[in-house]
Amino acid sequence: MCFGPFPLHQTMASRKESAASGSSPLETPVKQIQIDGLVVLKIIKHYQEEGQGSEVVQGVLLGLVVEDSLEITNCFPFPQHTEDDVDFDEVQYQMEMMRSLRHVNIDHLHVGWYQSTHYGSFVSRALLDSQFSYQHAIEESVVLIYDPIKTAQGSLCLKAYRLTPKLMEICKEKDFSPEGLKKACIGFEIMFEEVPIVIKNSHLINVLLLDLQEKSTVADKHELLNLSSSNHLEKSLQLLMDRVDDMNQDIGKYNTYCRNLSKQQQQKQQYLQRRQQENTQRQSRGEPPLPEEDISKMFKPPQAPPRMDTLLIAGQVTCQSVIFMGRSLF
Amino acid sequence: MSRFFATGSDSESEESSSADEITPKATGTTFNKPALLLSDDEEDTKRVVRSAKDKRFEELTNIIKTIRNAMKIRDMSKCLEEFEQLYRAFLKSKTIVDKEGVPQFYIRLLADLEDYLNQLWEDKEGKKKMNKNNAKALSTLRQKIRKYNKDFETEIASYKEVLNSSTNVISLCRCQDEESESDDDEDSEDWGSDSVDSGGESEDNEGAAASLAVVFLKKYKDGRRKRHKKIEQVEEEVDEDGEAEEGGWEKVKGGVPLVKEKPKMFAKGTEINSAVVIKKLTEILQARGKKGTDRAAQIELLHALSGISNENNLGQGILVKIKFNIIASLYDYNTNLAAFMKPEMWKKCLECIDELLDILFENNNIFIGENIAEDSENLAISDQPFRVRGCILTLVERMDEEFTKIMQNTDPHSQEYVDNLKDEGRVCGIIDRLLQYLESKGSTEEVCRIYLRRIMHTYYKFDYKAHRRSLGLQGETKSEQDQEESEGEDSAIIMDRLCKFIYAKDRTDRIRTCAILCHIYHHALHSRWYQARDLMLMSHLQDNIQHADPPVQILYNRTMVQLGICAFRQGMIKDAHNALLDIQSSGRAKELLGQGLLMRNMQERNAEQEKIEKRRQVPFHMHINLELLECVYLVSAMLLEIPYMAAHEFDARRRMISKQFHHQLRVGERQPLLGPPESMREHVVAASKAMKMGDWRTCHSFIINEKMNSKVWDLFPETQCVREMLVRKIQEESLRTYLFTYSSVYDSISMETLSEMFELELPTVHSIISKMIINEELMASLDQPTQTVVMHRTEPTSLQNMALQLAEKLGGLVENNERVFDLKQGVYGGYFNRGTRTRP
Repeated sequence: MCFGPFPLHQTMASRKESAASGSSPLETPVKQIQIDGLVVLKIIKHYQEEGQGSEVVQGVLLGLVVEDSLEITNCFPFPQHTEDDVDFDEVQYQMEMMRSLRHVNIDHLHVGWYQSTHYGSFVSRALLDSQFSYQHAIEESVVLIYDPIKTAQGSLCLKAYRLTPKLMEICKEKDFSPEGLKKACIGFEIMFEEVPIVIKNSHLINVLLLDLQEKSTVADKHELLNLSSSNHLEKSLQLLMDRVDDMNQDIGKYNTYCRNLSKQQQQKQQYLQRRQQENTQRQSRGEPPLPEEDISKMFKPPQAPPRMDTLLIAGQVTCQSVIFMGRSLF
Repeated sequence: MSRFFATGSDSESEESSSADEITPKATGTTFNKPALLLSDDEEDTKRVVRSAKDKRFEELTNIIKTIRNAMKIRDMSKCLEEFEQLYRAFLKSKTIVDKEGVPQFYIRLLADLEDYLNQLWEDKEGKKKMNKNNAKALSTLRQKIRKYNKDFETEIASYKEVLNSSTNVISLCRCQDEESESDDDEDSEDWGSDSVDSGGESEDNEGAAASLAVVFLKKYKDGRRKRHKKIEQVEEEVDEDGEAEEGGWEKVKGGVPLVKEKPKMFAKGTEINSAVVIKKLTEILQARGKKGTDRAAQIELLHALSGISNENNLGQGILVKIKFNIIASLYDYNTNLAAFMKPEMWKKCLECIDELLDILFENNNIFIGENIAEDSENLAISDQPFRVRGCILTLVERMDEEFTKIMQNTDPHSQEYVDNLKDEGRVCGIIDRLLQYLESKGSTEEVCRIYLRRIMHTYYKFDYKAHRRSLGLQGETKSEQDQEESEGEDSAIIMDRLCKFIYAKDRTDRIRTCAILCHIYHHALHSRWYQARDLMLMSHLQDNIQHADPPVQILYNRTMVQLGICAFRQGMIKDAHNALLDIQSSGRAKELLGQGLLMRNMQERNAEQEKIEKRRQVPFHMHINLELLECVYLVSAMLLEIPYMAAHEFDARRRMISKQFHHQLRVGERQPLLGPPESMREHVVAASKAMKMGDWRTCHSFIINEKMNSKVWDLFPETQCVREMLVRKIQEESLRTYLFTYSSVYDSISMETLSEMFELELPTVHSIISKMIINEELMASLDQPTQTVVMHRTEPTSLQNMALQLAEKLGGLVENNERVFDLKQGVYGGYFNRGTRTRP
């Protein structure tokens, strides 16, 4: 999976323009997302054409905030490029694309990005980082996660996520130490929040669909009743297991850290006690007390493992287990 | 021999010669030819290839000679010139000097030169007579040598000490003629170089020096210019039979120029008796081990001597003694330990030992032993039995080693090897005869030793005769049968008898260990698996073999391998695998069995180690076929591993039975294109794949076919049995694999179908399935009336398996998590006490 945060400098600038023109910082947070049918089809098409196996496709969402809902009216894929064509300028491409879309009178405001996922394994550091940078620049932006496998089985799976304000703050401060996370009271449950999605089509399209439904036979729907999902189940179980392994490892690391820390604390305490005893002895003998030494220098606390990854993994595990449940129930 | 005596006389003569100013003859021309062929000088002129040491030292001695000449004529400028040259030459040979130590002749010259110069310096009148050049040279040389000698102070001091002690002796019998002065000088030079050569062995004691002095002087008493290198016994011999000695010496001198002719031993008229012969013998032996001794000629001489003693009927005692020495000098012929005997030498050696044994068998009144002292020997014919010093057992052992060496150094794929191998019979014959001899005369220890030799020549040979007999095949014709019967007992019986004697009587651990290992090997070779295994287990060798020396360890490895192969032939696959595992898993089977050196660890060992390792190699005719070994190992691993893999397909913690087998499988998988198998390994891998699918027919055709037959299976004596066993095993294990792999597909399966599929009898199928059910490997039950296996379907599906695994992992996760929590809460505030604690 190769994807990094999208370059946003120029888009930010363009955003600032629009912000100046009207809807200044959001008074009310976005409560729901309204997606155009076109966007859904475009995303599906994108994956079908370019994504394969565990590879991930990504793209840019365009739209507008209307009151408390975010309307996503268009999108365009992010071109896949290999490591070796270095000259490719992503930012340039985005700008060009948006400019062209503007010329044909399509919404050209950047409101987020989308990404496909492989068995729901999308909660990762990279996603966090790039979503953070989006949300940092454009407050209302979301990430759409599209699960092609589930969709292929017959039920469209599209989810919109964004970072919670708490996580935004932590990310801003970049304090991922155990203490920092504890203070912020953040857990894996409240890292991402899902925003409800409504898919909306124009009346004309609805009419067409209804028309088509009349004509189509029921037989097409038998896919929904297919029970042979054990293959997918196994796969997601496998992935879940891998994550649990990771988690286990992380916990082990944290465990050793805690133990080291407490051991050192003990040593420090002992040292201080000894010191105090000696000082009282000296005082009784009328000697000057020992000079103060920098204790923190003598006892450097061990490097705390960053906990963010643990949180992410925990989030991933939850997410996958939810998906797994959904699958097994299907 | 004293290192210093020679110069002792030299300096003595120096004093007088300097006074008398006798001009010596040109150096090198009048060199006394030493007796016989023992001369250094002659060697030097003949030899083309010389070691660096010889070359350098010769250079030095040449310069020293010139200096001594110059000293005699008081040519100081010449002296100075030569000294400087000497100094440079010495520096050049620095590396050799560092290795060998400062040569004595060099020290001697330095000391003498200094003394001489001091003398000249003191002699004021003489100095005045000198011309200006000489006087100047004298002073510079004196200063130089003073300075130079400081570096060699200790050596010079010790030299002078010896010199003083020996002069005492010399002064007793000082009776040198004036005329012999110059010769004496050169003689002593010779003595000097001699002592340098034998520097390593010289006993540096005064007694020897003194006796040498006596000899030396005595020679001159006779007024003859003769050289001989005898030190010991000279005096008594002179007393005993001076006449004979005289004659003897005469002839020796005469014999020298006629090198090509057979040197005559004794003067025509000499009465040859045992004493003379013995003396002659000792004389020849004196030269032994010295540099420049022509070893081949020495052997010749000894042969001639034995011929003479035979002609004159001097008795068996002397003959035995001479034979001993001939064999010893044959062994001595190669100075290098790594070199092996030349074929003609080897033949001669065998003949000699044979003859020696003949004599010993014919004459019961000869006592030989290594602890009979030289002077208590009784060689002459008398009423008493002969007593001869020498150990025939050691000679035969050495012969055996030489034989091994010859075999090691012959290309095993040449005709030569076959020719050499034919001698094995003779070697065995000699060992057998000696065995008989020692059984009647030797001590138990000796008997043990010779028994071990016999065992070593027996244990690795397959007894075809006994094998045929056990199969019930009689010789086709009557005569053949007779021949078979007359050939003696089975090797198994021999081994048993010899080994049991050793177990009972041996007191050195090593011989017993070797005997046990050979015994096991022999058992294993003849498919007596249970005896072999029991002996191995009883000996407890597995526990302490790592303390043994490498050759024994190699023997142990060979035995284990043979044991494994034996188990395989008997169909004990598991035992075979276990026995071969250690050897095969290291990947160094070749090295561990002493059948070749591995090239890769060239950097890990130096040349010295490599030589040692080379000496440990087992001769080719005793090799165990490595391909056979590997094939046996892989096939047994396959028979064990494939059903195991099928049974534990979903087990997360599955371990490997054989790493090497898995490695081979992986190598097979990595192949981009799978052609028909070529090598033995590919065959086994292909067979494994077929077996994985339960396809025993394909598996069978991969394991047993033309190629594999010729490569592996035909090497077994009971080929047919082994093949039948193998087919059977393949069928059984394939059946097991099949059931493991496909049981989830079946609801029930008829045993008849299975027995048809795998061409096994119904009872066998029944027993295999029952065993699997009992071991809880197969969740099924047998329905007797219909002869079917009913699957219980309790085997979890792969998804369920994974879910189980996940559950296990989650359990671990929780445990880990609790541990973290424990740490935070203290030991007593565990996860489950949390509620009570937080509550107010």
